[in-house]
Amino acid sequence: MNLEKVVFGFFVVLAATLNFGFFIGDIDDPALHNPYELFAAVVVNLIATVLKFGDRTQIGAVHLATSLVADLQLIGATLMFGYAEYVSSAGMTPSWTASVVSLSGGALLANIVSVVLLVVETVSFHRG
Amino acid sequence: MGNPLLVFWRNIFGPEDDDRRARRSALRVAASSAVEASETIFLVMRRMRAPLIVLIAIFAVSVLGLTLIPGQDAEGDPYRMGFFDAFYVMSYTASTIGFGEIPYPFTYNQRMWVTISIYLAVVGWAYAIGSLLALVQDRAFRSALALQHFTRKVARLREPFLLIAGYGRAGELLGRSIDALGRRFVVLDVSSERIDDLELAPLHADVPALAADARDPGHLGVAGLDHPCCEAVVALTDDEETNLTVVMAAALLRPELPVIARASSEAMADRMRAFGHPSIVDPFDRFGDHLRLALSAPASYQLLTWLESGPGAELPERGTPPRSGRWVVCGYGRLGRELTADLRAEGIEVTVIEPDPTGPEDADIVVGEGSEPEVLEQVDLAHAVGFVAGTDNDTTNLSLVATARRVNPGLFVAARQNRPESAPLFSAMDLDARLVPTEVIAHEVYAQLSTPLLWRFIREMPARGDAWAADLVQRLSDLCGSQLQALWKVRLTSQEAPALGRWLASGQARLGDLLRNPENRDEPLHILVLLVLSGDQAVLAPDDDLVLRTGDEVLLAGWGAARRALGTTLQVDSVLEYVVSGRRVPSGWVWRKLSRTPAEAPASRPPTRTGA
Repeated sequence: MNLEKVVFGFFVVLAATLNFGFFIGDIDDPALHNPYELFAAVVVNLIATVLKFGDRTQIGAVHLATSLVADLQLIGATLMFGYAEYVSSAGMTPSWTASVVSLSGGALLANIVSVVLLVVETVSFHRG
Repeated sequence: MGNPLLVFWRNIFGPEDDDRRARRSALRVAASSAVEASETIFLVMRRMRAPLIVLIAIFAVSVLGLTLIPGQDAEGDPYRMGFFDAFYVMSYTASTIGFGEIPYPFTYNQRMWVTISIYLAVVGWAYAIGSLLALVQDRAFRSALALQHFTRKVARLREPFLLIAGYGRAGELLGRSIDALGRRFVVLDVSSERIDDLELAPLHADVPALAADARDPGHLGVAGLDHPCCEAVVALTDDEETNLTVVMAAALLRPELPVIARASSEAMADRMRAFGHPSIVDPFDRFGDHLRLALSAPASYQLLTWLESGPGAELPERGTPPRSGRWVVCGYGRLGRELTADLRAEGIEVTVIEPDPTGPEDADIVVGEGSEPEVLEQVDLAHAVGFVAGTDNDTTNLSLVATARRVNPGLFVAARQNRPESAPLFSAMDLDARLVPTEVIAHEVYAQLSTPLLWRFIREMPARGDAWAADLVQRLSDLCGSQLQALWKVRLTSQEAPALGRWLASGQARLGDLLRNPENRDEPLHILVLLVLSGDQAVLAPDDDLVLRTGDEVLLAGWGAARRALGTTLQVDSVLEYVVSGRRVPSGWVWRKLSRTPAEAPASRPPTRTGA
C-alpha cells in the first residue's frame, strides 16, 4: 500500500462527494444547500489540485486539468454566493441559488471525471 | 525588374535558389533537452505541494473557526460571521496587514481564535514563501530557466546564424568579427563565467548563450543544430575530444552543414575527417604556413593578415624576416616541430633548444634550458639571425626573448603568447612577430565564414606573387586608409541585382562601367574589387575591362557609402542606365512611356573617361 496514493485518492473522492453533497437538492431552495459544505468543497478541491501538481504523465495532466476546472467552477459559485449575500440587497433568491448550485453542478461533473480517471488508473495499473 | 513591388513579389513567390530552404525539416535532437527543462519545472511544482497544502489547510481551519465561533453585533445580539467576512478578516490578518475587527468588534472567544490563527498563518506564509525563494535560488531550477530562455531565443531566430561551441579567447575574437559583419551567432560554452563575460561584451546583436557541455547532442540541438537557419557549426573548445564530438554530431545530424573545428594534432584531424568534410584549423600548422609566406612574400603575408583580421582592422606592418642565416627555435613542442619543419622546407638552417626532448631524435637538438648562457653559447646565438620562443609558458618565453636579445640585439625575434593576460607584456617587448594561437584560429575561421569568396581569395592570393600583393595593399590602403573598411559580396542574380538582368545578358557588361558614382558618373566609386567568381573560375583583383555575366559573384572592399551607392545601381533601372550610358531615363513607368525611351539594355556606348 502506498500512502501517497491513499491520500491522493482520499482527497479526490472527498472533493467529489462534498461537491455532490452541496449540489443535491432542489436547485432553487437555499435551505437545501449548506454554505459550509460549499466551503469544504472549495478547500478540499484546492488541496486535491495541489496534490496533482508535478505529475508528468498524460493521465496526471488530465487529472490536473479536471481539478482546475472544478476549482474554477466552485470559486465562481462562492463568488456568486458572496455577491448574493453581501452585495445584492435581495439575498439568496431562488434565481441566485439556482446559479450557485448549477455552477457547483458543473464542478461536480469535472470531479466525476477525476474519479473516473482515478478508477481507470487503478484498474490499468493492476492489469499492467 | 527595377520595380520594388516586382522585386518583392519575386522574392516571395519566385523560384527560391537559396539552398537553405531545401534543407530537410528540423530534426528533433532538441527534444531531450526540452524534456530535461520541463522535468525541472515539474520538480519545482512537486516541491511546492507541501507548502501550498499547509497554507490552504491553515486558511481553511482559521476561516471555518471564525464562522463557527459566536460573536455579537453592535446591539449585543448574537451574530455569526459569514464566510466572506471570515475570509476577508483572515486574509488581511494572515498577511499581517491588520485592518481591525469587522463588521463588529470581536468577542473574547473570537479574539482567542484569531490569535491562534495569526500564529498559524504567519508560519504557513513563511514556509510557503521561504520554499519559493529557496527554489528560485536553486541551481537546477535556475539552469532550467536559463535553458528554456535560451531555447526560446534560438527558436525565434529568423536569420542565418553560426553555432559556436566553445567561447574561449578564439571564440570571443571570432564572435566580435562576425558581429561586426552584422551576422548572428549562438554560443555554447561549458564555463558559466565565459557566458557571463559574453553578456557583458559590447556586441551589436543579442547573442543567445548557454553554459552547457557541447558534448551533449541535446545541447547542440537546442543551440540550433536542427534550426533551419543554422548556416555553420564552429567547434573551438580547448578540449579536442569535445571538438570531435561536435564534428560528429553535426556530420550525423546535419550532414549538409559546413563544420569548422579546431584540432592541434594530425591524429585528431584525421579522426575528424572521418566524419564528412569538416574544415580543420590547426593554429600551429597555420602559423608555420604564415611564417613561410612571411619569409618568401612579406607583402602577401601583410595582405593576408589584414584581410583576415576583419572590418576595422589596422594595416599590419610589413615584417622583414631574414631569409638567409640560421634560426634558433626554443621549445620543440607542437609549435616548435611545425616551425622547424616549415623553416627547413624553405631551406633555412634551424637549431632547436629543448630541455626535455621526447619523440624522434633530431640531429640539431640541443638539450638544455634556453635561458642558460652556456646553452646559448652552444647554439651560437651570436651568429644566428632569427629566434623563436615557442614554449607553452609565457614567462619562459618572455625571459627567453630578453636573454636572446642581450646576446644578439640584431635578432629577428618571434614569441608565442599563450594567455590573453600576457598581451601587454608581449607588446612592451616590441617583438618582430607574435604568435597568438587563439588569434590565428579566430582569423582563419573568420576568413572561411565571412564569405566563401574571401576564403578563396586568401587561398589563391599567394600564387600571384609578392609584387602584386604589395600593389594591392597600396591600392587598398589608398582607398580605405589604415583601417580596413567593409568587405562584402554581391551576387549578380535577379534577386540581388534585379536591375542588371538585360545589361548582363548583353555580353558587354564591363566591370568598370558599374563602379561609378550614381550622382556623377565621371567619378568612380570608392570600391576595390578583390575577386570575381564566374562559374568556377576566379579572377583576383580584376581590371575595369572584365566582362560580367549573370550569376557572377563579386567580392568588394570599400566604404559603407560606396556600398550603398552600388546597391542603388544594382536595384534601380534608371540609375543603372545613367551609370552605364550617361543617359538620364525617367524612373516612372508613365514618364518612360511618354518620353518614349524604354529602359532597355543600355547602349554600350563607351563612357567618357575622365581622369578620375
